[in-house]
Amino acid sequence: MSLPIIMTESKGDSTEAVDLTKTYDAVVIGSGAAGGMACHVLTSKGMKVLLLEAGKKLDIEQELRSMEWPYDNAHRGSLPADQHALTFNEYTIRRPPYGPGFEKSKQLHSYIGNTDYTKNICVEERENPYTGTNYAWVRARCLGGKTNIWGRLALRLSDFDFKAKDRDGFGENWPISYSDLSPYYDKVDLYLGITGVKENLSHLPDSIFQRPTKLNCAEVTLKNSLQKMGRTLTQYRAGVTSDGLKHNKYRSRCYGRGACERKGGCDIHAAFDSPTGLIYPARDTGNLTLRTNSIAREIAVDPATGKATGVHFVDAVTKKDYSAKAKVVIVAASTLESARLLLLSKSKMHPNGIGNSSGHVGHNFCEHIMGPGVHGRAKNLVGKPPTLDDGRPGGFYLTRFRNLKDKHQKFIRGYGFEGGGGCAMFPHGTDNPGFGAGFKEEIRKNQGAYIGMGAFGEVLARYENYVDLDPMVKDKWGIPSLRFHYKFGENEHAMAEDMAVTAQEMFDDAGFQIVHVSKRVLTEGWSIHELGTARMGDDPKESVLNQFEQSHDVKNLFVVDGSAFVNASCQNPTWTIMSLCWRSCDYLADEMKKGNL
Amino acid sequence: MSITDRINLRQDRRQWIKTSAGLIGASVVPLPAVASPAVQEKPEGTMEPVPKPGAGAPKSAGRFFTPAQHAYVEELSETIVPADSHSGGAKAAKVADYIDQRLRESQDEEEKAMWHEGMRLVDLMSKHFHGKSFVESSSDERIEVLKVLSDNYNMRELPEVRFFQALKHMTTQGYYTSKIGIHDELEYKGNRILQEYVGCDDPTPPSNG
Repeated sequence: MSLPIIMTESKGDSTEAVDLTKTYDAVVIGSGAAGGMACHVLTSKGMKVLLLEAGKKLDIEQELRSMEWPYDNAHRGSLPADQHALTFNEYTIRRPPYGPGFEKSKQLHSYIGNTDYTKNICVEERENPYTGTNYAWVRARCLGGKTNIWGRLALRLSDFDFKAKDRDGFGENWPISYSDLSPYYDKVDLYLGITGVKENLSHLPDSIFQRPTKLNCAEVTLKNSLQKMGRTLTQYRAGVTSDGLKHNKYRSRCYGRGACERKGGCDIHAAFDSPTGLIYPARDTGNLTLRTNSIAREIAVDPATGKATGVHFVDAVTKKDYSAKAKVVIVAASTLESARLLLLSKSKMHPNGIGNSSGHVGHNFCEHIMGPGVHGRAKNLVGKPPTLDDGRPGGFYLTRFRNLKDKHQKFIRGYGFEGGGGCAMFPHGTDNPGFGAGFKEEIRKNQGAYIGMGAFGEVLARYENYVDLDPMVKDKWGIPSLRFHYKFGENEHAMAEDMAVTAQEMFDDAGFQIVHVSKRVLTEGWSIHELGTARMGDDPKESVLNQFEQSHDVKNLFVVDGSAFVNASCQNPTWTIMSLCWRSCDYLADEMKKGNL
Repeated sequence: MSITDRINLRQDRRQWIKTSAGLIGASVVPLPAVASPAVQEKPEGTMEPVPKPGAGAPKSAGRFFTPAQHAYVEELSETIVPADSHSGGAKAAKVADYIDQRLRESQDEEEKAMWHEGMRLVDLMSKHFHGKSFVESSSDERIEVLKVLSDNYNMRELPEVRFFQALKHMTTQGYYTSKIGIHDELEYKGNRILQEYVGCDDPTPPSNG
């Protein structure tokens, strides 16, 4: 059969003819999950919105090529040899900025840019330097941002996360409860599509799921074994539409083609990405104006009132300066870029950066620690005929089990595991010892028996983990770079040790032959889940934003991306970012109607 | 028992490297690891130029390897992933072409020099153990030579070990991304439109499923 024809581009896609003389109802900075959602909600309410994206408008279909065979690709899907993507080793032994030393490479990418399908989505590292402590900072400057490369695990947070301080005394509670956000999670589920299975867990609430994918046999073995321990393994909850979306002509349902591991996005957009899921539909309302190659450098302020009046930005290509005017400024540039923009926006009224009277902008920076995990073989599957195991958006998610009912002696909070198993286009085991006929046969016979998983754990939101502006280093456009002051702490390292131990135990209990237990912690930033640099709270002295992601200091300034998070939880953040943003934009529109902004 | 079973690579490599220096004469600069085991070996890229296998033979336009080197790399890669009754090996999958492309497009001169140096050292080993070049050897003899490097996989300070690691990595990359590797060897079932993922037909489904 053939795939349905998908409209991949909305009409009237000209970004040049952008009217900068008029005052928009809102200007949105950034076009990823948060910026896209802000555009969707506000334009659907009839507001006139200008969307500024720092990066280029890519011909994304040309980048993705989800069904291309490796042997039909000039470099078998790898990065061309004259380009380089940073490796774990380089992130570890070098210090930021990571540019120097790679002069021979025509382009230098973050680690995620190491394939032919992701190389143009990520930024050129040397044009966008940062300094300070080691950090694998993955940035995607193009329409849709990191939603073009996201892992699609779409999880809800619960009151175990929103009210974590009540449980262990650490940090701050969120200014909202699960009941405040739950209706918005529902809206996001229905508007964007999510596949999964209901489990009725209080610490990982269910979504409104479309048709679930299935587990393969090794995964079922693990699930059954874990049930005896009271732990839950569930189908990967993917932000992928498995049934299709009648209201969206740009996205097809998932057809299980299996290129999800390619890291580049999905060329039929069954997997959510911001352009097809949010921005093109927003443009079809006639209320959205988009300008790409527009790097925000400062939020403009009325010197009399201190309120935001718009954005000063530089054209990424021509380097010319422009200003856009708007009644409301919505920052959605990604956790770290949003903090950078607030800090850059210094004025007499806002000497420490706009919205920063608390001094918390850039602080309480948190994310997920990862690296520890296990892989092995389901012995009963060794030598069986090859199976089709990757025809689905993901394998499984093993939900948090630490510090729910019990209290762990060495650390607070928790972690979950992402995993999967079975045959893949590129086999597991090419790093097995040896070579020759036995080596080859071993890979073939074990390919379907493979199963592996890796943990994602909460990094505590601590004031002393922060970013600020580097006093010397600037990017290609002369804008001061971010400087990192960020390290995993004792709680994270204790948790990481436990991850490796429990991973091994659970595989042992399932009867798997363990091939490797990884105890290695990956570089800070590796999870690409950076959060918390402009946290919400009820107390303007201890937080940057209120519960609607509205600046305590500046009523018409909203920061709607991951920077608003109060803690990282251990769940992947994208679905929560979008749900919070939807809620905040509903509030914003109401306040605007009332004349309160 | 194979003649390569009791090799102490770090020490014994002097035997075949010395022999070669004696044979070729004074024009060859002693290898650093031979000159003094205590001296840390220089990065490959800084080594003196060494006679390349097949040097002097006509070089194919735009290729990294000469035809003779290409034939040598074909046999090296085939030894890593050989043809068997199930499917073709690295040679049939044209892995040497893949490696040639990676190297000729590479900007990394050290990497390129390492391949030349590694190929030279492996040939010296082959001559030492079997009295003939790697290409002239039988497949059992080739396995014996590469087994020495595989058995000492962690001796990264030795250029021939680093070469073996690179050879194995590039061979598996090239082989398992080829038509033969994906379709004949692994019989990969995916990358096609699927109405429904079948999943496990295990008769004992999870109780709360």
